Amino acid sequence: MESRTRTEGGYTVVELEGEVDLSCSPEVRKVILEVLKAGQHLLVDLSAVSYIDSSGVASLVEGYQVAKRKKLKFGLVGVSQSALGVLVLARLDKIFPIHATVQERIRADG
Amino acid sequence: MNSKKRTILFDNRQYTLEEKLAHLAEVTQSFAASLNIQQTLQNAIQQMLVYMDAEAASIFLLENNDSELVCRECAGPVNITGLRLKADQGIVGKTVITRACQLVRDVSKDPNFSQSVDKNTGFITKSILCAPLLVKDSCIGALELINKKNPHDLFDRKDEHLLLALASASALAIHNATMATALVEQERMRKELELAREIQLALLPSTVGKEFPVAGVNFPAREVSGDFYDFFRRADGKIYFNLADVSGKGMNSALLMTKASSLLHHLARTVTDPGELLSRVNDELCETVTRGMFITIVSGFIDQEQSTITLANAGHQPLLYHHDGRFEEIPAQGPPLCILPSMSFPVTTLPMQGGSLYLYTDGVTESLDENDRPLDIAGLMHLIQSNPQTGATRRLENIVTRIRRPGVNQRDDITLMVIDCTPGAVMNHLLKQHYQARPDQLVQIRNQVRQTVEQCGCTPTLAEKLVLAVNEACMNVIQHAYRGDHTGEITLEILNNDNKLLFRIEDHAPPINLSAVRPRDINELRPGGLGTHFIREIMDDFRIGHLEGDAGNYLEMAKKIN
Repeated sequence: MESRTRTEGGYTVVELEGEVDLSCSPEVRKVILEVLKAGQHLLVDLSAVSYIDSSGVASLVEGYQVAKRKKLKFGLVGVSQSALGVLVLARLDKIFPIHATVQERIRADG
Repeated sequence: MNSKKRTILFDNRQYTLEEKLAHLAEVTQSFAASLNIQQTLQNAIQQMLVYMDAEAASIFLLENNDSELVCRECAGPVNITGLRLKADQGIVGKTVITRACQLVRDVSKDPNFSQSVDKNTGFITKSILCAPLLVKDSCIGALELINKKNPHDLFDRKDEHLLLALASASALAIHNATMATALVEQERMRKELELAREIQLALLPSTVGKEFPVAGVNFPAREVSGDFYDFFRRADGKIYFNLADVSGKGMNSALLMTKASSLLHHLARTVTDPGELLSRVNDELCETVTRGMFITIVSGFIDQEQSTITLANAGHQPLLYHHDGRFEEIPAQGPPLCILPSMSFPVTTLPMQGGSLYLYTDGVTESLDENDRPLDIAGLMHLIQSNPQTGATRRLENIVTRIRRPGVNQRDDITLMVIDCTPGAVMNHLLKQHYQARPDQLVQIRNQVRQTVEQCGCTPTLAEKLVLAVNEACMNVIQHAYRGDHTGEITLEILNNDNKLLFRIEDHAPPINLSAVRPRDINELRPGGLGTHFIREIMDDFRIGHLEGDAGNYLEMAKKIN
């Protein structure tokens, strides 16, 4: 798994790539929480995620909850088919704000 | 009571013969109405004091196989209730032995008079009248009167006649009351036995679904049974079964049965070798069993995955394997339980190749037909052979109907069991691999699962789901069973049973708390606890358990594929 962080339209975008499982989900969690700790709005780009398990999903849930508490914006973009399947199983597809691209999210923000 | 006695003692009025006869009729009537033994005795004593003008009266009953005379009720200045005399001791003894009334006008002149009571109490006995209590041909004791109330009077022949009449009424009343007490006791015992029977019934397995391959029936000859049978499916899918006969038929057999069946039921959850199971139960039973009691038993396991039955026969009747219209007898290879400790019990392995296995107790083969001939094994074979092809329980009921004929007293407990030997579908072993319990191993596990299930024809979407479920299971082992100890090992096995994929994951971590593994409420938004929910969503079926001897844990998941 690899992760890259960039900024776009007022968001910090964390791009994850590869398989997100127990071996790297603690790292994903750390990255997500650091962004939020710095008070930045966060989008997690899952377009290159070929696999995500419940530990990876747990990091996303935690990010979502912390952002809400800190009144920061949070969302997922470009969710891969594989990752979406897992989110659906966890009934989180209706909870997380999900958009195809960062631009789409920005448009939706108005 | 005492005040009443005293009143009578100080009542010096003399009764006329007519009055006495009228009272006698009244007494006889009141005796007939009483079924309480103590009340009857008290009643008799009171009547004697009043109508015989006696200073003291006592009732002695023969007890301890007629070897002793015990004073069960008395009235007078000295209380001798509970006094025990030898059956031939004193005037009372002579009365009982001769079964004739004894009138001793002056005791000082009678060699049979026992002076011990007077010596101990200071009471002075002058005159005694003693009558036997006779019921039909047997004597149950005696009524004894001591001293006339008037110190100058002595007992005479008229008193003797009156006491004899009173004694025969008393004897009948005492006899009836004793019988009534025995009946009440009998009824109490019957109720106790009914309760014992209920407990025994609760130990027998309850009826299970039609697809379960074992069925059994038990008809005790008396309220409680020395036979038992049991079967249940273990956490690992194997089915345990037993059928046994405890020597004897009474309460002692029933109690031993209760202990043996409980031990077997408990140990069979973790012990898988039928020989070892019987050996351990035998050692335990030998420690406490009453000498001379023993248990013959067939006990074993059905492994539907491997299509085999493993069993041990400890001194029991041969099992009958009915297959293709033929019978094969499987005789006992070990001694009965409870004979000697440290015995070994050889194990027989039978491949399940169709047909049925019949287990039964000797109550079946020794049941008598219309001509009083025992059914025998040949007769049982005939009944099995002629049985229509119906469900297992119905087949057993048909056999029982034939051997428990109406109006014929059942001599022994009847217990029968049938095991369906239809082979399970062939298990295809697709993968068996060991992994280190580390997060970085998960990618390898996923790749191997993906490859294996795709080769079975799973679509990529289904394959991804199965991969996720196995990944979650292994993750649970790493995080919760081994608790981060990365030196442990995970074994993953994938089998295909007739297009049903079976995933089995084993670890060697300490036994986990099974009740803590359950899917959480998915509507509750929190980071952890999703894994078990995923497994439940993806798989058709899953179960967890501890390995034999608490050597670790296992998780089995099944998914039907096209």
